Parts: sequence; structure tokens; C-alpha cells
Amino acid sequence: MRKEQKMLIFWLVILGLLVGFTLFSSWLVPFEPNAMDMNHIYEAPNGTHLLGTDQLGRDVLSRLLVGGRVTLFIATLSVVLSSIIGIIYGGISGYFGGAIDAVMMRILEAFLTIPSLVIVLALQAIMQGSVWRMAMIMGCTGWFVTARIVRSEFIRLKELEFIHMAKMFRTPLWKILFRHLLRNSLPAIFVVTIFNFAGAIFTEVSLSFLGIGVPPSIPSWGTMLYTAQNDLLVGAWWMGLFPGMFIFVTILCVQAIGSRFKQRGGQTHV
Amino acid sequence: MIAKWIGKRVIMGTIVLIIVSFLSFFLMHAAPGNPAAAYYGGNAQTLSTAEKERIETAFGLDQPILYQYGVWLREAMQGNLGYSAKEGRPVATIIQERLPNTLQLVVGTLGIVAIASTWLGLQAGMKEGSLLDRGLSFVSIASSAIPPFWLGILFIMVFSVQLGWFPSSGMKDVRGDGGLVDRLYHMVLPLSVLVLAHVGVFARFLQENVKAEKHRYYVEVARANGVPERAIRKMILRNAIIPYINYVGVTIPSFFGGSIVVETLFGWSGLGQLLVKAVMVKDFPVLMGAILITGVVVVICLFVIDVLMICLNPRLRRGGIV
Repeated sequence: MRKEQKMLIFWLVILGLLVGFTLFSSWLVPFEPNAMDMNHIYEAPNGTHLLGTDQLGRDVLSRLLVGGRVTLFIATLSVVLSSIIGIIYGGISGYFGGAIDAVMMRILEAFLTIPSLVIVLALQAIMQGSVWRMAMIMGCTGWFVTARIVRSEFIRLKELEFIHMAKMFRTPLWKILFRHLLRNSLPAIFVVTIFNFAGAIFTEVSLSFLGIGVPPSIPSWGTMLYTAQNDLLVGAWWMGLFPGMFIFVTILCVQAIGSRFKQRGGQTHV
Repeated sequence: MIAKWIGKRVIMGTIVLIIVSFLSFFLMHAAPGNPAAAYYGGNAQTLSTAEKERIETAFGLDQPILYQYGVWLREAMQGNLGYSAKEGRPVATIIQERLPNTLQLVVGTLGIVAIASTWLGLQAGMKEGSLLDRGLSFVSIASSAIPPFWLGILFIMVFSVQLGWFPSSGMKDVRGDGGLVDRLYHMVLPLSVLVLAHVGVFARFLQENVKAEKHRYYVEVARANGVPERAIRKMILRNAIIPYINYVGVTIPSFFGGSIVVETLFGWSGLGQLLVKAVMVKDFPVLMGAILITGVVVVICLFVIDVLMICLNPRLRRGGIV
């Protein structure tokens, strides 16, 4: 138990550092992230440019820190949105049950069958554009698992005695829904949200890498890898390596923290 | 009982396909500008109003949307998916060229992942606390945190650029005859990326099941009665594999999702690459067709998994609907 506690703190510290660095990147970055320097293109990591420069002579480290802010912002916003939709959908389905529940669950299962990347791609085709839209699209397509968890939690909780008591005392419906049911499902929602967050980073990075996510002019961890394939052929390995390392470490932290909470929560079934 | 169960699945599959078809059809209508403009993409500005109207009547775009959907669905069922706005060829033909490539990749990945993860998971689960057991847990967490395309980039970096062992993209050698060996040679990198991205998670899932199954009463009894270890392993595997196959079924959509990125990275001209290209050039007919076909393929795959489940799980055959 001691050791696990330490591991949790370890992951939290790393994630905290990463988030901290990206949040305050405006003050921390050694170079202006979009400043081009044609005399120093494709410079390998050295004393001035710690992680090298890209094809336009922009400092990779600065772009990484600023790009992290874009990636994490999109992930956060989309997760908040998807959690809200998921809680509402799952809550209605779980609390009312019966035919409503059956229909809503069939629809949900159908959504889960379609590769989520395909849905995102389809939406992206018609409303490609800004960072905000990207977060919206991901939020609107990422709520399926949350809804399932909320539903099963609501179903489990609504049969418990204290809910029956509350109903007997004529507690208003909204109070039962929010104060009792929602509040008691929060640990489970928290865990699934953490995993959703990791998934959102994954999606943003994949789409931007394909060139159909965040516009390539805005630095994000995904867009930085957009050109990496060509850069590799020139021999600029640092362009491909470092953004990926940041993504990897971030997702690893998030997932490690998530599974720790999942173990602690015990009976959460994803 | 089986008939009822299969019937339920078929209905489920139909619902999925209806939703997919809705998604792909209304894509065209949600596209910016009017549908005629969407059809002609960037060329739409050159059309005059009269021409636009003529196009709308020709394509039946002045009819109610639901009627259009009905017509489109009927045509799609008969294999007519329209014409690509960029290439001018029938979408069905384009997809017919692409689909086998994707299937090769996905089926190959699935096969290797299934065999490797079953073996690894069983080995690791049986020897609790061993190096393999702990190693696998670690590797699976690490591998699920690596974006597949980045793994692909690293592979290109090492195996194509540095070592020059494998080609970094394409499906066949320019000079080659495009035979089986050539194809496999080009498949090594994309396939191994997809396999590595999935195998850890699957092996770990089975490992957990094996561990749980190992402490069950029947194993203890079998062991006490001197049943050979081989037979016990077989029993454990047989019971642990049922939730595992279910899990494979749940993750099949993500296989196709993963192949979109990997195909694009390695220039593997499959359905995924087609999708991405269609989004980029806003070739809506192709996009609609590709989404529809992806849905169909996923539904078929899920159905195969379901049949497999019935074969492996006697409880399902006897009527307990899970």
C-alpha cells in the first residue's frame, strides 16, 4: 500500500510538472514559438536549441511547450463536454429504466460499434477549422462509455435503501438525482473521465497528425508530428522523437493515475 | 434459443447500419453550402445559378430529404454508391479496390494478436509473480500509452532510414511484380505497428482472467485428483477465453480506427487512407461510401465473433442470453 501511494504521488508529480510547464509556457519558452530563423533550420539538439529546430528554424522545445497547451486544452474541454452529455444521457437511461432505457441503450450500442475515429473524421469533414470546433467534435463523440458507466451506477444506486427512504420522505426529484445518485456515482465517473482524457489526447494527436485536426499553423503535439515523416527522411530524428515522448509520458501518467483510482474504487466496472 | 439469440444480433446489426447510413447520408446535407456545391467541391464557384438548379433537379435534390434518403439507401443496397467527385469513377469500384488491402491488414493483425496474446496471457497468468507476469503488466500499460502512428514513425526511423531493412511506405516495389513475397515484405512494418499497439492490452486482459480462473474451486479439485497440468491449463484457458473473445469483439471497431492512421502513415492504400484523403479533398460521395462500408465490415466482424462465442460457450447454446 505504501509503495502504491508513492507511485501515485510520483505520477501526479510528473503530470503536474508537464501541465505546469505547458500552462506557463508563455513565460518559460526560450524562443518565440512561431519565430522563424532560416539560418538555423534542421539544427540538431544543441546548447541554444535544446531540442533542435524544425524545417523553418523554429525552436522545437518552445513549440512543444506551447503545443502542449493546445493539446491539453482540447482534451480538457472535450472531456468536460463529453462528461456532461454522458451523465445526462446515462442518468436519464438509468433512472427511468424500462422502455426508455432499452431504446437508449440500443442506440448507444450502435454508436459504440462504429469506430469513433470514423465519426470524428466524418464531422471533421464538414466543420473543419479551429481548436474550439475540434474540442466540440471530440466532446460530442466521446461520451458513450461515460453514459454506460453512469447508467449502471444509477441502476445500482437507485435500488439501495437510502434512495427508497428519500422517496418516502418526498425528497424532490432533482435532489434525488443530483444529491444522492450523481454524488454517489462521482468516483466511478471520475475514473472513466481520467481514461477519457487519455483517449482525447490520443484522438487529437492522431487527427492532427493526419492533417485534419488542428490547423497545421497552430502548434500542437499532433501537428508537430504532421511533418515528422518527411523530416525523418532528411535525418531530423528529433522532430519525430520529442513530441511523441511528451505524448507518451502524458498519457502514461494519466493512465497510471486512472488505474490507481480504479483499484481504489474497487467495484467500478468499465 | 440460438435462433432467438442470432435474431437479436441481426436486429442489432441492422440498427447499427441504419445509424451509419444516416450518418453518412446527412453528412452530405450538413456540408457547407448546398449539396450541389458539396458534390462539386471547389469547382462549385464556377457554376451559374441556372446550372445549379439544373444539377439539383437532375440529382433529385429538390425532393424532400427523407425521400432522398430512401432513394439513396435503395441504390446503395444495390451497390450503387454514386460517383467520386474527384476521380469520376464509381465509388463502389474505388472501394472494391481498397477494401481487400484493409482486410488483409486488419485480419492479419487480428490473427497475430489473437495467437500471441493468448499464448502470452496464459503463460503470464499461470506463473503468478514471475518476471513475465510483472513484465507483461508493465508492457501493456506502456504500449497502450504509445500512439500507434508514433510507434510507426519510430519504426520508420530505425528500420527504414537507419537500417534500411524495410520500405517506409507503399504496397509493392516499383520494379517488383507485386507478388505475395513483395506484399508481405511491405506489410511487415504496418502490421508490426498494429500488432504491438494491441497485443499488450489483450494479453493482459487474458492474464487477469487466467489468474482469476486459477483460484477457482474446480482447478483445485482437478489438481488434487492428479489431473495432468496440461489438461488443467486447457480447462483454464477454455473458461478464461470467453470474456476475452467478448473483449476482442468490443475492440474490433478500434482496430479499424487504428488502421486508418497506420495506413496513412505507411501509404497502404486501404479504406482508411481513402477516408482520410476523402476528408482532405472533400470528396463527399467517397466519404459517404467509405463510412458506410466500414460500418458494414465492422458489423460483419462482430457477427463472426458472436458465432464464435456460441461455439465456444455452451451456456449460450443452452439458452442463457448473456
